[in-house]
Amino acid sequence: MITGAALPLDGTGGCPGGDPADRPRHDARDKATGAFRYAADLPCPGAWHVTLVRCPHPGARILGIDPAAALAAPGVRAVLTAADLPAERAGRRVRDQPLLAGEVALYSGEPVAAVLADTRREAEAAAALVEVSYEPLEAVFDPVVALDAASPLVHDSPWTYPGAVIGPGDGPNLQSVVTDGDPDRVSRALARAAHVVTATYRTPAGHQGYLEPQAWTAWPDGGCVRLRGTTKSPYRLREQVAATLGLEPADIDVEPVALGGDFGGKGSVVDPILCAAIARAVDHPVQLVLRSSEDLTATDARHPSVITVSLACDDDARLVALDFDAVFDGGAYASAKPVPSVNLHGAAEAALGYRFGCFALRSRVAYTHTVPKGHMRAPGAPQTVFAIESAMDELAVRAGVEPAELRRRNLLRSGEEDAYGHVWPDARGIDVLDAALSGAELGGSDLPPGWSAGRGVAFYCRPTPAPPATALALSRLPDGRFEVGVPVPETGTGSHSLVGQQMAAALGTDPANVEVRQLPTSALGFDPGVGASRVTAGMTAAVERLAAAWRDRPPGTDSLRIDVPAGDDGPALTCCAQVAHVAVDPGTGQIRLLELVSAVDVAEVLRRRSHQMQIDGGAVMGIGFARFEDLLEDGGQVWGSTLGEFKLPVAADLPRLRTVTVVGGKGVGPANIKAVGELTNVPAAAAVANAVADAVGVRLRDLPLSAEAVYWRLHPPGRDGR
Amino acid sequence: MVDPEFLRPASVAEAIGMLAGGEATVMAGGTSVGLLIGQGLIEADCLVWLSGIEGMAAITPVPGALRIGAGATLRQVAAHPGVRAVAPAVAAAAGCVGNPRVRAVATVGGALVHADPRQDLPPALAACGAEAEIVGPRGSRRVAVSDLATGFLETVVAPDELLTAVDLPTAARSSSIYFRYTPGSVADFPTVAVAAAAVWSDDDRLVSLRLVLGGVASTPLVVPEAAQLAGADDPHARIADVAAAARTRSDPVSDRLGSAGYKREMAAVWAERALLACLAPPGTAGQLSGAG
Amino acid sequence: MVAIRLSLNGEETCVDAPVTASLLEVLREGGLTGTKEGCRIGVCGLCSVLVDGLPVSSCLLLAPCAEGREVWTVEGLAAARPDLADRFAAVEAMQCGICTPGQVVMAAAAQEAGAGEPDAGYLDGNLCRCTGYSTILEALRGSGRADG
Repeated sequence: MITGAALPLDGTGGCPGGDPADRPRHDARDKATGAFRYAADLPCPGAWHVTLVRCPHPGARILGIDPAAALAAPGVRAVLTAADLPAERAGRRVRDQPLLAGEVALYSGEPVAAVLADTRREAEAAAALVEVSYEPLEAVFDPVVALDAASPLVHDSPWTYPGAVIGPGDGPNLQSVVTDGDPDRVSRALARAAHVVTATYRTPAGHQGYLEPQAWTAWPDGGCVRLRGTTKSPYRLREQVAATLGLEPADIDVEPVALGGDFGGKGSVVDPILCAAIARAVDHPVQLVLRSSEDLTATDARHPSVITVSLACDDDARLVALDFDAVFDGGAYASAKPVPSVNLHGAAEAALGYRFGCFALRSRVAYTHTVPKGHMRAPGAPQTVFAIESAMDELAVRAGVEPAELRRRNLLRSGEEDAYGHVWPDARGIDVLDAALSGAELGGSDLPPGWSAGRGVAFYCRPTPAPPATALALSRLPDGRFEVGVPVPETGTGSHSLVGQQMAAALGTDPANVEVRQLPTSALGFDPGVGASRVTAGMTAAVERLAAAWRDRPPGTDSLRIDVPAGDDGPALTCCAQVAHVAVDPGTGQIRLLELVSAVDVAEVLRRRSHQMQIDGGAVMGIGFARFEDLLEDGGQVWGSTLGEFKLPVAADLPRLRTVTVVGGKGVGPANIKAVGELTNVPAAAAVANAVADAVGVRLRDLPLSAEAVYWRLHPPGRDGR
Repeated sequence: MVDPEFLRPASVAEAIGMLAGGEATVMAGGTSVGLLIGQGLIEADCLVWLSGIEGMAAITPVPGALRIGAGATLRQVAAHPGVRAVAPAVAAAAGCVGNPRVRAVATVGGALVHADPRQDLPPALAACGAEAEIVGPRGSRRVAVSDLATGFLETVVAPDELLTAVDLPTAARSSSIYFRYTPGSVADFPTVAVAAAAVWSDDDRLVSLRLVLGGVASTPLVVPEAAQLAGADDPHARIADVAAAARTRSDPVSDRLGSAGYKREMAAVWAERALLACLAPPGTAGQLSGAG
Repeated sequence: MVAIRLSLNGEETCVDAPVTASLLEVLREGGLTGTKEGCRIGVCGLCSVLVDGLPVSSCLLLAPCAEGREVWTVEGLAAARPDLADRFAAVEAMQCGICTPGQVVMAAAAQEAGAGEPDAGYLDGNLCRCTGYSTILEALRGSGRADG
């Protein structure tokens, strides 16, 4: 049942016979030759370039904007302010963010004016000449403090915004709150339990770290507008543009372009809507391409968290209660959160996976005067799992049981009901945990002299949702080949290659005869966009239906488009366990990660190489989260404003990465799959923290896990005359 | 947005002429100047690009020293057999700056004159006793690399002067080591860096010892106590004292790479480790590498 | 504006550019969009090109500094050394692909230098957020270590 990771990455695909799962992706060569075009690579003749003037203060009243010097600069066509654009606010669920700040700007980096010029150079030079006078406001940066009644209000009455999920009585600065479980029962259980641990864990602001800056071009077209650029949810974006600009969705055509990295970040909506509004205001095509530092400081960073967990077990190491209380820093606007709860589902799923005797859960997202926070790969889960899986080890120590054994005793088994009352027919947490443990291969030779070694384990599971509603088109090209039109952009996962290969198989033709093309929103029905690890399930289900419809097509039909309803065979529980081996230098506190083993719960694997890279890339992102990724928000400023300060892992930072796939799972959809994109980035931080605790007895509850924190715990200041 | 002048002198003398008035911005590899201009952090009226000066990039033996032209790239220095033999710490430091693209164009002169205290090369050159040649309208002068930097991004090189070369002494028996401590990503500036260089007599007595730290002050930090180990009966017995002096003399700032207090502690830890490695008998292993 | 004469992908070329324009801007505005803009501070590797055979961050190189030099971009290398792109494609050393042209240029630089095998540290200035790097290192293998 358990197989080694060992997909040979030697170009043979490990399958000389030509297993379809090993076919190369269709875009590989173009990506390697530079021929592949991303949004900023596409021509937009005549478009004026937009540079945004951004507020440098975390909260300020805008007293005046003087564009005169900018307007006199070479090449400048216009300088727009809030007064020139629709007053309606923008957002994915809550429409609380103005396109340009009018009376007040609420975060450092918020756009207050837009400079339009013939070239990007001219627009940037002129933007520096726009004179804005500000009166800084009293601001709040800490999400826990923000929820206190004495704190300054970020918004006076946030419940009045369209889509708001809170009311006037919900306390200050609240974006959303999710509660679940039975707090009274949990209180009683905690009071009676044999072993209890209560601890608070903190994680910093992070960034998706996609390397392609966001880029948009908008063309006004009578009353309509056409938008092309970096979105993972074109149909949702169409609705959001319509809502803010007072148009019908049909008035807007969104053409997504293949993304140079997403990880949740290419769902921010204010920039494209702003771009569309500007194009309409000046009745001319405009292009807005962010600089990397703008992406880092002013788009949709990951929520920082402060999470307090109480976890209890009895003398047999059976978990009797979980109390989970999270406060997330949502930033100045809730606009980037797409889910109905306007919260983070990773937190709402905090009690998934184990049999807790009882649980209570509260997840609050606070408004602060910081950059608005959005979704990043398994939103809320890395923060949540860092807290719970760290607490799990702390409880194991207290209960005198091996950390892996505590988990083994309490993980859900197939057919059991979870804390939320859902029965999972295919719950393989124990198998996955044991696979991770057995896959670990730490050799003593890796340990530098004087260093201490440690091992840590952590577990995560999430639902793979049933295939979502989507849409797909197929046409026969004049040369006899086929073209599949898909509604979602290629984010890099290989989803377009998969569609082509699956369609070729369904039509009984060679994949070389099937082109895959991203269609604009005007060409298809509806798709919810990339997210929640649902694309592969949705696309494979849609391919099956479309192929069937094609076989039954009326004679003479050479193109067909279908709307595919959501599937009902799901969700499927999908598990991941990771084991980290570390070495810690007691003299400096330095943490060296030697090995990270990821055990992953899989059903069918459709494209082996893509599947493996989702696992590896996720693990690397998890390592970055554990070890050093930090946007360095302080005083309302993002100090990690370049990739020189916001460090992403490089190849030399990595330990030995091993994968163990636990095959034979029951997945979703006709292709029988379990999602893989949002797994291995999640438990890694807790696995590493647990390994550090194992190595030197130092429990770190704040991310990133720093050498300095270890050092001061091993060498408390004040001794040795220091 | 006035375009600056872009000048390409063919000789040092011509360059000195262009620098008269002290308003020009000198660039060689262009990594720092290119970055600062690209980010809008500096505006230049006149750029003087040194790459066209014949011979500026050469690394050649001169009596008692290896002369490294200011235009030599870090890549050249890291790979140069002479530098690797004479001053392994310098080769090691040059080889871990930034990434291969930075090392391909960034120059020794640029690394010294830009005077970013997080730079790898200056502490290593200073520890190895290198001397810089500075040419200006008033003639040329020589300054020890350890005395070049006067503050954050400031040196003794006047706006109308050029640093043209550094001379690396070629002692018959020497050892040197460079450690850079990067507890986060390896592709980052060091939290602290330590260079140590020793010169030995033919009968293995310690003739001189220099210890220079990076990242713990606004300039490379020379720890003069290290020199006292030369001639001591048992140099190893006094390593801890020198390490303590490194801690005391450090005056770092708190930043994302570590708090000031932690950097001071690491100055002591890595000074001790560097001295231990450097004072190992000549020719033993471990004298080329970085750490981290 | 200055006129800059350079050899671009094997052809003698003359371009006009502001003194403070980066080579990256000049390349992209001239239609060579295979060279991507990333961090603009030389650490991400998206804009890597070869200048006189050496790898360079084109975001940091002021355009006039390309005067008289031989510049190769990923497009030129794809034509001149198709084996490199083939290799990246064969091992599928990419996901989103935005970093791939820069990685291919680094592979060409390693090949140019011709000594030894690139190790993980060779990619200290080439970020990839998708793949986890192992396939990229696989593609680089055998292309020759360039740098000390």
